[in-house]
Amino acid sequence: MESAGLWMLLAVAIVLLASGLPAYAVLMGVSCLFAVAGLLAGAIDYGVLTALPTRIVGLLETDLLQTLPLYVFMGALLNRLPLADRLFRCGVALGGSPSIATLGLGALLAPMNGSVGASVAMLSRSVAPKLEARGVPAAESTALVCVASTLGVVIPPSLVLILLGDAMMRAHTEATNVTREMVRIVNTQDVFRGALVPAGMFLLLSLGVAWWLGRTAPTRAPAERPRAMEWAIAAVAALFVVGLLAGVAAGYFYAVEAAAMGGTALLLFGLATGDLRGGMFGDVLRDTMAVSGALFALFVAATTFTLLFRAFGTDHLLDAWVKLVPGGATGAAITVLVVFALSAFVLDAFEIVFVIVPIVMPPVLTRAPDAVWISVLALLALQASFLVPPSGYAVMMARSQMKQRTAIGPLARSLAPYISAQLVVLALVVLIPRLAHLAEPKSTAAPPAAKIDDDDDAARKRFNDMLNLPPPPEE
Amino acid sequence: MGWIDKVDRTVGALVGSARWLVLPVALILFLQWPLRDFVRAGSREANDLGQWIFALYVSLAMTFATRERAHLAVDAIAHDYPPAVRAFIDRWGGFACVAPWACFMIWTVAPTAWRSALLLEKFSETLNPGYFLIKVAALLLAVLALIQALIDVMRQR
Repeated sequence: MESAGLWMLLAVAIVLLASGLPAYAVLMGVSCLFAVAGLLAGAIDYGVLTALPTRIVGLLETDLLQTLPLYVFMGALLNRLPLADRLFRCGVALGGSPSIATLGLGALLAPMNGSVGASVAMLSRSVAPKLEARGVPAAESTALVCVASTLGVVIPPSLVLILLGDAMMRAHTEATNVTREMVRIVNTQDVFRGALVPAGMFLLLSLGVAWWLGRTAPTRAPAERPRAMEWAIAAVAALFVVGLLAGVAAGYFYAVEAAAMGGTALLLFGLATGDLRGGMFGDVLRDTMAVSGALFALFVAATTFTLLFRAFGTDHLLDAWVKLVPGGATGAAITVLVVFALSAFVLDAFEIVFVIVPIVMPPVLTRAPDAVWISVLALLALQASFLVPPSGYAVMMARSQMKQRTAIGPLARSLAPYISAQLVVLALVVLIPRLAHLAEPKSTAAPPAAKIDDDDDAARKRFNDMLNLPPPPEE
Repeated sequence: MGWIDKVDRTVGALVGSARWLVLPVALILFLQWPLRDFVRAGSREANDLGQWIFALYVSLAMTFATRERAHLAVDAIAHDYPPAVRAFIDRWGGFACVAPWACFMIWTVAPTAWRSALLLEKFSETLNPGYFLIKVAALLLAVLALIQALIDVMRQR
């Protein structure tokens, strides 16, 4: 019955596509169906299933997950406040082309935004009309919105990065329990630092592409100039975001605190400028709760699904399969890239992080112990997949959100240079794993691996001590 | 079906009123940094307080998302179905998927939540009060999911 988990995955994919039901409901339904079948067939033990409440309570008390509503709150505020509009106009007034200003804005705001979808919505509404007014063709404008919206996938401390960091920490702990090697477990901070250099490389390449493509394009520049107050707001916003990024990367405050600071600062900004009025404030709170609930439901359902997946022992089967992949760590890394790229054609980043990472990553990390490198590759693969037309998530979202729906052909041509830039960075990181470690302080360098000789409980306690985790709740 | 409408309105009012909870979560977690690094007191209390408010918030938010139809779905194929087929799948498919899960959760988490609430269980590391609310939130999440699934089936008939 080890293959039952794979049948569960297949059932989820079929029901998800054929029914159009919410992903969380499909995950719960398929899990329940297979749980009953597994109990009747004697393949799983009822006692394993009773671990579910403890796991759900565990989700409710995870510090890191508190960032979820906070980032969604920031995204909802950014979507309604005219901050993006002001930053864009200041960026153009500084002498940047509209394309460069769009990418700059994406780099600045994407880390504060909740998701690729939220970023697409914000940029489509606030920036796309301005690109059109400046004579940027619709296909290029859509491509820029796509690229700028996905920058949050790789630039910390975005929600995708935080959640992936958490999922990787769990996967790495499981992998080390199998290999019994004494290594430092990857954490969210490590993933942040790992992503910094590759994200910077991709941003620089993208800015270069935008400059090259825009250098001869005729643009109509509207006569309006930002007012002094708008310059001040733009400067403070830029400094604030850079400060948050630096603070989290340097470890001055936790990601959850950075998210809370961002949310509180945006709220105060909205109230102080009068941009956030009664009805709009109500909409922000409603959107925040709806999106937070949707994401948390997915987390709860994925937790149920992965519990069943392991109860059937499918994780052992995957482990055996990954061992058959040739090429050592690089082969395992390429496996991750392929799985993520295929998943991203159908699933959102959050669905991949909640469902695919807990299943695929532990066996991969037993082969490729550099968890930071694998995490960065996963992020880059995710970002690249979102940009591939016609079914890349960002592409589909942008096409549905833009006033003028762009044909796939011209959009694919406009996206091609950016996807090429992305593939260059991806290839470099595959070939030179050190790129994922350049931003690491020396003190966090992994100690040489050593085999653990004592029992699992002692090993787990040591890991918890390293991570400074609270003890598990008492039942 | 008047009573179903009443239950529906009550659930709507309950989960809708919780949307304000994101503000204390943001404020408390924002204060955690200055409390820890500058005041050097109260940060753990802020952390625990933020923890149970967050737990209550998301446990209510899941049902709020269902009511707002905000859950993530892939409807590349299903959006071509006739509206009646779509409505049938949404109603009965949603119920068939969520209700068994919610029943199992209620069955398994209720004794734990009840014991914890009776003891007014505290956070084990800090001994701050309120940990039982996290377990109660897990129960609340499942109860609301079940009630909402029943409402959706019964109201749209």
